[in-house]
Amino acid sequence: MTPDELKDAVAGKLGDKMSLLDTGRMVPMFEISAANLLTVAESLRDDAALKFDYFCNLGAVDKTERFEAVYSVASIVHKHRLDFKVILDHDHPEIDSVQEIWPAANWYEREMWELFGINIRNHHNLTRFLLPDDWDQGNPMRRDWDAPDFEKLPEL
Amino acid sequence: MGLIKKVPVYAERIPGGSLVLTTLETVLHQGQAKSLWYLLFGTACCAIELMCTGASRYDFDRLGMIFRASPRQADLIIAAGTITKKMAPRLRRLYDQMAEPRYVIAMGGCTIKGGPFYYDSYAVEKGIDHIVPVDIYIPGCPPRPESLLEGCIHLQEKIKKQKLLDWQEK
Ligand code: SF4
Repeated sequence: MTPDELKDAVAGKLGDKMSLLDTGRMVPMFEISAANLLTVAESLRDDAALKFDYFCNLGAVDKTERFEAVYSVASIVHKHRLDFKVILDHDHPEIDSVQEIWPAANWYEREMWELFGINIRNHHNLTRFLLPDDWDQGNPMRRDWDAPDFEKLPEL
Repeated sequence: MGLIKKVPVYAERIPGGSLVLTTLETVLHQGQAKSLWYLLFGTACCAIELMCTGASRYDFDRLGMIFRASPRQADLIIAAGTITKKMAPRLRRLYDQMAEPRYVIAMGGCTIKGGPFYYDSYAVEKGIDHIVPVDIYIPGCPPRPESLLEGCIHLQEKIKKQKLLDWQEK
């Protein structure tokens, strides 16, 4: 499907749960609410016309007043791609795990939990693997985080 | 009797005989210096220069340096690349697994003092001398193969100068 056809197909099937964002990019970007994540993900994977069977990427963005979890999925069968993001509360960021739907999400979710401190509900193995084993200094990718041994860049 | 020409200070030929007098220290250290097998420990971009040095153009083998994939067979770690805080305990463990005498070369700015990641990186160890004792520092980002070769020659000279029981005291 071309991106425009894909936008129409998604609007027709999941229009009430996914709202299209105007990003100007070729890959369409949708926004969904955290409560709908699992149902939307399941429909995206199982719908015969959409069939998003490949999990490309999951990243988090710290926007200071909120977190955004950005998912990228693709369909190997239909050769199309789609991104969607979920807005999370900054004080208590929490999101459902999609690893039952796309098992590849497992490590991305662990990374998000480790570096951003976003709690993943129903994750099978939420353990540390990127930071040092004895790390106790918080979540380094958060904007309000400072390492104890940061050095100021010299004035040039 | 090529050895006599190379180490005239320590070796003497008894006139008329086929006997050579030298010290155990000299022979041992000559041997150690000329067969420094190094542990492959390339963790970032500096490793590319290390590979280049090992390839035919710069020919590391002519110094007797052959890479080993196991710390048990290595005399030297050339730490080529950024050492993160996560990697640091692994480097220490590999160092501990090596048989003495063992040497460490810190190659590149990252291993000396954190390199370009010295400022505002939470993940990079700011110098591997916090983890293992370093014998030779080779500055550069990355150092050219010539610098690496020179560093190794300095290490060989250091080995030749050391006393037999030095490494036991470390
Ligand atoms: S010193 Fe420079 S070249 Fe070497 S590992 Fe660090 S960044 Fe890479």
